[in-house]
Amino acid sequence: MSVALAEKTSPVREKPSSGRAARVFRRNRMLVITSAVLAVIVLAVIVLPFFLPSVSATDPVNRLLPPSAAHPLGTDSFGRDVLARLVSGGRASLGLSALITLCAAFTGLVIGLISGFFRAADAVLMRVMDAWMSFPAIILAMALAISLGASIWTELIALTVIFTPFTARVIRSRVLGIAGRAYIGAARVSGMSRWKILVVHVFPNVLPLALVQVVILSAAAMLVDGAMSFLGLGIAPPTPTWGNMIAEGRSYLVQAPWLVIAPGVTIMVCVFLLNLIGSSLRIAVDARARTLSEMQRLRTRRPSGS
Amino acid sequence: MTGLLLRRLRDLVIILVIVGTMMFFVIRLIPGDPAQAILGPTARPSDVDALRESMGLNGPLWEQYLTWAGNVLHGDFGTSITYHAPVLGVVADHILPTLTLAVLSTVISFFLSVAITSWQAVSPRNPVARALDRLSALGMAMPDFWISLMLVLVFSVTLRWFPSSGYENLFTDPATAVPALVLPLTVLVIGQTALFVLTLRESLLGELPLAYLRTARVKGLSERQVMTKHVLPNALMPLITQLGSNFAMLVGGIVIIESIFVVPGLGHLLMGAVSTRDFPLIQGVTLFVAVLFVLVNLLVDLSYALLDPKVRVS
Repeated sequence: MSVALAEKTSPVREKPSSGRAARVFRRNRMLVITSAVLAVIVLAVIVLPFFLPSVSATDPVNRLLPPSAAHPLGTDSFGRDVLARLVSGGRASLGLSALITLCAAFTGLVIGLISGFFRAADAVLMRVMDAWMSFPAIILAMALAISLGASIWTELIALTVIFTPFTARVIRSRVLGIAGRAYIGAARVSGMSRWKILVVHVFPNVLPLALVQVVILSAAAMLVDGAMSFLGLGIAPPTPTWGNMIAEGRSYLVQAPWLVIAPGVTIMVCVFLLNLIGSSLRIAVDARARTLSEMQRLRTRRPSGS
Repeated sequence: MTGLLLRRLRDLVIILVIVGTMMFFVIRLIPGDPAQAILGPTARPSDVDALRESMGLNGPLWEQYLTWAGNVLHGDFGTSITYHAPVLGVVADHILPTLTLAVLSTVISFFLSVAITSWQAVSPRNPVARALDRLSALGMAMPDFWISLMLVLVFSVTLRWFPSSGYENLFTDPATAVPALVLPLTVLVIGQTALFVLTLRESLLGELPLAYLRTARVKGLSERQVMTKHVLPNALMPLITQLGSNFAMLVGGIVIIESIFVVPGLGHLLMGAVSTRDFPLIQGVTLFVAVLFVLVNLLVDLSYALLDPKVRVS
């Protein structure tokens, strides 16, 4: 029902034109600003390590120094520069989250497309997905990380497995709405094979939603990745990640709180930006998504007599 | 209603079979020999072998699986290797702290999010309501392990208002239990409330333009009555669904929070079981969590029947 409702109002595969893009961006100032800030962070993470001190250069004399001009974010228990580690840790944390997101979005998209379009596969696939989702992600990730040995690849596999059903469900519900459309029936009557219909007609209509899902997913991936590193199940300590920096700083919470505050704030800012980008994109793509300002409009529309 | 119950029962069986089988094989991949782990690195190979035999670890994998599945069907989840006690009993001993955290945080978050969202709907121009709107997005972005540490830093270390650990049973010793519960609960409530507010607001916005509200206003109901009698009951449905599907995430959060605040619950038990390679215990805990998930969703379905007359009739 709700899917059908959204279908009525959401735009069907409009030809992208530069005028429309400009209009969308003018309407979504939030989207532009948040994307720009995130782009700056990503750029900093890529470029800055070349200009900062080495992440592994220990300096026992200057350990646990508070933030100063020489060390803008202070130093850790080995006297390593926290800013340098933070920036370099961003490579691992952001890179891994991006990789996880791509893998999970791809598998979720494939499963969602198949299960939404082929009714026979749906019954089996969705049962499996339900079971999957009934499982606390972190427990599954823990079991996998321990059984396969903690490494980037294990974490990639574990988190892909965890996030796949969430994407699959969203994509499936959209595919279900599209599969009932007249033009799909027309394509079928014209003798098009089902797989070709799926690729040519269904897939392009799902793509915008899938892109939104990718952004939302990447925010979730960053949080779980942080938790995994924090628990010591992600990338191992000499290589900095935001999660394991927090875990290492935990023992010095009282003497050197900046060790925990800096990476935590960074994770929070990135996830926050990704969430904002995701929700602004959703408003552009999905007619069901509404915002608080819309709440105002709806309220002002109410009859003046009440 | 019976149809619904039967369907849930079928789901329960399917989910348990999938989760149980998956965990059985994933756990068997864990390197390290539980027999060696129990006896220590200096044990004689013959002793290790004897113990392996008695634990049923020497047979082929599929044979171990069938034996295990058969025992589970008889209600026998095996014996915990580290606790030397039946798994069910060990799980039962550790369930209360986890349930306390889960239930209390969910109930608090539920009412808090209903209050916040209704307030936003009634006065959308209020600056505080708008600030709360931004805050809920921020709440979603905060890593729970990190807020835990921040709360410890501020409220335990600096202000010394609440202890950073020291769980006590809420029912037998409330005076010590309540202060110790404040920080872990706060962490859980922040994350859940943020999520619930976003869900509830979306469904509320879906209700506001509908025609039945005009009818309600035209027949002379005050704005408050329209809100509480008509909008909220309808808008609550997606939130209740969210309660069910959020359960897995909640348990995941509790695992981390229990390890930070040293709460002797299921998460703590599980982390210990994983590090000692206590296979039967890991399986028992995970299956138990899966059962809880299905039960929570059954409760969600039943509450639909209470809230929605349409479901009750069919």
